[in-house]
Amino acid sequence: MLGELGFVLLAGVKFGALYALAALGLVVVHKATKTVNFAHGAFAMLGAFASFLIVVKWQWAYWAAYLLVPPAIGLVAAALEFVVLRRLRQADMFTVVIATIFLGIALAEAFRLTYNTELLAVPALFTGPPLVVEGLFITRDTAWVIAGALATAVACIILFRYGRFGRGMRAMAANIRGAQLCGYSIDGVYMLAWFLGGALAGLTGVFIAPVTGVSVDLAISIITAGFVAGVIGGFDSPQGAIVGGLLLGIAESLAAAYVSSAMKNCVSFLLLFVVLMWRPEGLFAERAGRSV
Amino acid sequence: MRNFNVRDVLVGACSLAAGAALIAGVPSAARAQVNGVTPTEISIGAIGALTGPLAFIGAPGRDSLSMAFDEINAKGGVCGRKLHLDFEAASSPAESIAAAKKLVEEDKVFIFVLASGSTGAAAAADYVRQVGVPTYNLYGSTPIIRNPFAKNVFNGAVVPVEVSAGALIKMFSDGGYKPKKFGILAGTYAFPQATLKAAEDIFKRDKADFTVEQFDIGARDFTSQLVSLQRQNVDSILVLGSFSEAGFAIKQAREMGMTNIRWVVDGSAVSSAIVPILGNADGIRGYYNAPAFPGQTPATREFEARLKKFLGSVPQGRPSIYDLIGYGSGYVVAEAIQATHCQLTRGNLINAWSHLKDAGPTKRGGLDVTFPESYTPTDHQGVYRIGAAIVKDGKWRVYRVINKP
Repeated sequence: MLGELGFVLLAGVKFGALYALAALGLVVVHKATKTVNFAHGAFAMLGAFASFLIVVKWQWAYWAAYLLVPPAIGLVAAALEFVVLRRLRQADMFTVVIATIFLGIALAEAFRLTYNTELLAVPALFTGPPLVVEGLFITRDTAWVIAGALATAVACIILFRYGRFGRGMRAMAANIRGAQLCGYSIDGVYMLAWFLGGALAGLTGVFIAPVTGVSVDLAISIITAGFVAGVIGGFDSPQGAIVGGLLLGIAESLAAAYVSSAMKNCVSFLLLFVVLMWRPEGLFAERAGRSV
Repeated sequence: MRNFNVRDVLVGACSLAAGAALIAGVPSAARAQVNGVTPTEISIGAIGALTGPLAFIGAPGRDSLSMAFDEINAKGGVCGRKLHLDFEAASSPAESIAAAKKLVEEDKVFIFVLASGSTGAAAAADYVRQVGVPTYNLYGSTPIIRNPFAKNVFNGAVVPVEVSAGALIKMFSDGGYKPKKFGILAGTYAFPQATLKAAEDIFKRDKADFTVEQFDIGARDFTSQLVSLQRQNVDSILVLGSFSEAGFAIKQAREMGMTNIRWVVDGSAVSSAIVPILGNADGIRGYYNAPAFPGQTPATREFEARLKKFLGSVPQGRPSIYDLIGYGSGYVVAEAIQATHCQLTRGNLINAWSHLKDAGPTKRGGLDVTFPESYTPTDHQGVYRIGAAIVKDGKWRVYRVINKP
């Protein structure tokens, strides 16, 4: 029974780690720009596709995908911010959200038109016999995905907390005018936020490509899971994104195993609903109050 | 103001009558085109998805039909006319009906081809029965297009689900294997559900021990279903879903230590694209709607080369079964038209098609890549044969042909 539960939890943590990474990219952009980037899933899909090109099509070493794809997708995101979203900065939030939704659709459909196939398979980074712990089979690839995704997420949190960029983002989020007076450039911080968000999406794509393959559906599944994980954790909290992602992955897995497989998709929205009812600011929302 | 006299009125009336006669004459002059047949061309309309999740069916359908028609036309065409393909992209049921109406009512095609899988076939079924246009269903296995029987609807290489389910279950016992308990892992969408029902009926009839787990379309995490199957000690699993779903389910099962399982997958999962998902896919079985895979025989190798030349480059996962069937079906269309003895009316075509025997590419010098199709006035299922396939050394190959199970 423990072995069975172990399998279920392991699968939950594996997908949860990927959800966390996806949510973190959304949080980065939102924290700096107050924009929910619904094109994030499409960026991740492009990242997965780029890793297919590097690993399968061009037969380059796998590490090249981890090194090249995140900055490449980051540049795509920054370019879109520069070309499209910068012009919408004065527009209302609804317009910006609609713009990101349609950017995502455009990217996904462009991929579909150029590479019209049901699924592109990407091999796992690590092969070889699985690790067996107390009867629990843990493949090297599963261990890598969990460790790699979570380590990246933790590194990002440290960077945001202590790096100049992180301070800039927090300053922008708190008071744009004040941040400008302190010497932060709106254009610079916004573009950097989109670059980092895109890079995290690209990295999510590289991690997820061997797990799910590359397809247009990937864009939808990543944005859905990332958005729910972000809301659960609190959309301004990188730590919350990690906890939200893991919570979502484990909840999906447990519900599918012990309630019904049909509950797998349902549980994420159930969780979202409960959090919005009980704690709409998310589990790890940053405090907005101040001492007087 | 001008006054009209009797003469003017008569002249006007005669002019109107002449005009009306002229207009009435237009249809008779164009009558040759009413059913998509002109002195130089026969128009064949087809629908299928070229974008979206079902494009892996429609795009090969369009390409391979075009390739077959090009080959036939290069040899002089049929009845002294070139075959012309009018392909309309249609992904959803609503688009399928709209595209069918456009082809039949506006373009007035001679033959209507469903190159759209079960979704489009089910959507257009009532309409084609109602208008009576000769309809050729290439890929749809849905019972909705087959039942009730319609004399104008012909079903080609894709066999009914009762036949494919029987073949799939037979494959579990190949090589002397004796399954103890079966597991079925089925998608919740239309096509797997139709096969699931047929498979359940057979298992119940045979009093076999089996259990069913289901998954949503596009699923990538099968932990819960596999844990349940593992708990029930199944040793044989039938996967009813796409190659991506089957591939990730089997991959995950292996990761969970489920290594001594006989896997049989549905025809929709029998694709070369399942191999890179699994790395080592050897031993997985499934059915194939053609006698050989691309690369397995000289004919299929030649087909691959011709398709590459025709398209410029062949996308990953192609040629697929949909390419082979589309190509073979193009030749069946030509055979059916020829069988009218060039009396090109829809009635004659339906009658001639209903008596076709062993139609396929070989009779017209095409490549032997599909099972020949035969029809009778009361049975419009062209093929009942199915290839039992297995992955060996990373490649699918048909290891035996199962006649109507």
